[in-house]
Amino acid sequence: MRILLVEDDMVLGQAVRDQLVADGHSVDWTTRVASASDAVRAAIFDLVLLDLMLPDGRGLDFLKGRRVGGDVTPVVILTARDQISDRIAGLDAGADDYMVKPFDLKELSARVRAVGRRYSGNPNPLVTHGDLEIDLAGRTVRRGGKVVALTQREWALFEAFVERPNALLSKTQLEERLYSFDAEIESNTIEVYIARLRKKVGAETIETVRGMGYRLGSPGRRP
Amino acid sequence: MAILWLAAATVAGLVLRHEIDEVFDSALQEVAQRVLPLAYAEVLARDSDEPQRVPPVGPHREYITYVVRDAAGTVLLQSSDADRSAIPKDLTHGFATTATLRTYTEAAVQGTILVTTAEDLAHRGAAVRKAVLALLWPLAALVPVAVAGVWLAVWLTLRPVLEFSSGLEARGRGNLSAVSIEGLPDEILPLADAVNALIARLRSALEAERGFTANSAHELRTPIAAALAQTQRLVAELADEPRRERARAIEQSLRRLSRLSEKLLQLAKAEGGGLVSEHPAPLGPVLRLIVEELDRQFDCSERLDVAIPPDGGPALDLDPDAFAVLARNLVENAVRHGDPDGSVRIRLAADRFEVTNGGPAVPADRLSALTRPFERGPTRAAGSGLGLAIAAAICEGAGLTLDLASPVPGGSDGFRATVRFARATGSGRARS
Repeated sequence: MRILLVEDDMVLGQAVRDQLVADGHSVDWTTRVASASDAVRAAIFDLVLLDLMLPDGRGLDFLKGRRVGGDVTPVVILTARDQISDRIAGLDAGADDYMVKPFDLKELSARVRAVGRRYSGNPNPLVTHGDLEIDLAGRTVRRGGKVVALTQREWALFEAFVERPNALLSKTQLEERLYSFDAEIESNTIEVYIARLRKKVGAETIETVRGMGYRLGSPGRRP
Repeated sequence: MAILWLAAATVAGLVLRHEIDEVFDSALQEVAQRVLPLAYAEVLARDSDEPQRVPPVGPHREYITYVVRDAAGTVLLQSSDADRSAIPKDLTHGFATTATLRTYTEAAVQGTILVTTAEDLAHRGAAVRKAVLALLWPLAALVPVAVAGVWLAVWLTLRPVLEFSSGLEARGRGNLSAVSIEGLPDEILPLADAVNALIARLRSALEAERGFTANSAHELRTPIAAALAQTQRLVAELADEPRRERARAIEQSLRRLSRLSEKLLQLAKAEGGGLVSEHPAPLGPVLRLIVEELDRQFDCSERLDVAIPPDGGPALDLDPDAFAVLARNLVENAVRHGDPDGSVRIRLAADRFEVTNGGPAVPADRLSALTRPFERGPTRAAGSGLGLAIAAAICEGAGLTLDLASPVPGGSDGFRATVRFARATGSGRARS
């Protein structure tokens, strides 16, 4: 995706930019509202990451201005203010999501992926795998027509398998997916989550490749 | 007031009585002096020795009777009712008062004819009583009306003052808007203006402090965020494992620092006052957002059993940000330290907010200590030990009550935190 990052802190901005580039996105980084306004006029972005407190104005006003002008580009707010009223104001102004600093870069990657998918215009966000219907945009899974409720982390793992149905995913790769600000990833965390996933989406849906990792199994038989 | 009225009425009654006496006495005298020449002529013209009765003109009750006697006391002439009055003899010239009568005697013809007019004292008393009553009943009717009128006038005058004072009392809980001075008496206006000026100064001081807290939070968070993000990039880019481990250690430390600074800022804010907002707003939407955030953080959606009234829950004048911090700390406390596989019950109702979790009961002696900073219950989970202290500080600052119960009422284990919205009277001082 082409992402516009608006962040005035150089040290943080650089790390965020490098993370997004490592995820395979192309990133334009500005530190001012004025240059952000120029950038959105000059190019079309798939996503804007917007800091709310900028030296030359409020990010919120920039966002409102864009929305009033009919711009529907997804916006994720990055804010250092933790007041819930600020977050509500951001969402009310038309933000798609928000993250409170300090945030985890892996979580940022996941949010960017999620928002991007919501707007990717993928004509077919529904993936069918055996008796499973997976809606990548709505983040829902149906098994035999019934909705299966997955937790955030279960979904994050399952999504990794569905996105790359033929790939062999190592335990380390999967751990990368389990961003969490507070959680310590312990040595058996991945095993615990794989076990839970198998219970919910069918044991044969996820295969273990001994010593290597996991991959999406052959489709379960339709009932 | 009423006593003065009564005294005045008494004086009026006495004056009235005196006046009535004078009027009646002059009537007695008048009658005697009128009767005398008539009686004299009558006596001279008469030849019988029988006392003569002057018949009444029509049937009537005589208030004034008279008798005409000679010097020996023989009755020469009397009015029709004179017998009944039993007018005493041997009266000298002038007024006299017996037990029942008031008399006036006038002599003529060298004392050979004496006219005595008499009036029954009872009649006089009755007349005075009637007059006094006529004087008193409008008074008696007017006194309550007057009292009510005075009370109403005073109340109308004082009502704005009372409103001002109750408005001032309400400002005690962190609401620092100016108090309305509408309708205040002119004498009190300067005082009210001075109070409002003071409130305005207090408000700007508090807002400056709040702004400082918000800014210091911002100033503190940004460098931590930058350091954490750079460290995470370092972990991702380093190829050799020992160094990655070292970078991961830094990352963990930064996270701890971030959590601790977060909690300390919350505690400072909770203890700094300003927890009451001037515009009551429903708490439900705030709670929903907090639950969503906690689910992202702890992946605990399956453990959370949340009930929020469909109408958005009670609209409290508790600052939404303060409620967010309160709710977050109570739920986080339950998720972290409760039974890891048990559910956490979250209830928002009109009168309370309640968070219940399973797990071993906290001994009673430890329970009260939990709201002190850096106290920890029987848990192996990580945490700052500040969550319940922050919740308690917010409740105290906003005038709410926080009850911690363990085991859960009616159960043998578990833990329940209840925030009661009914404000304890007289609490919730704005602390600065």
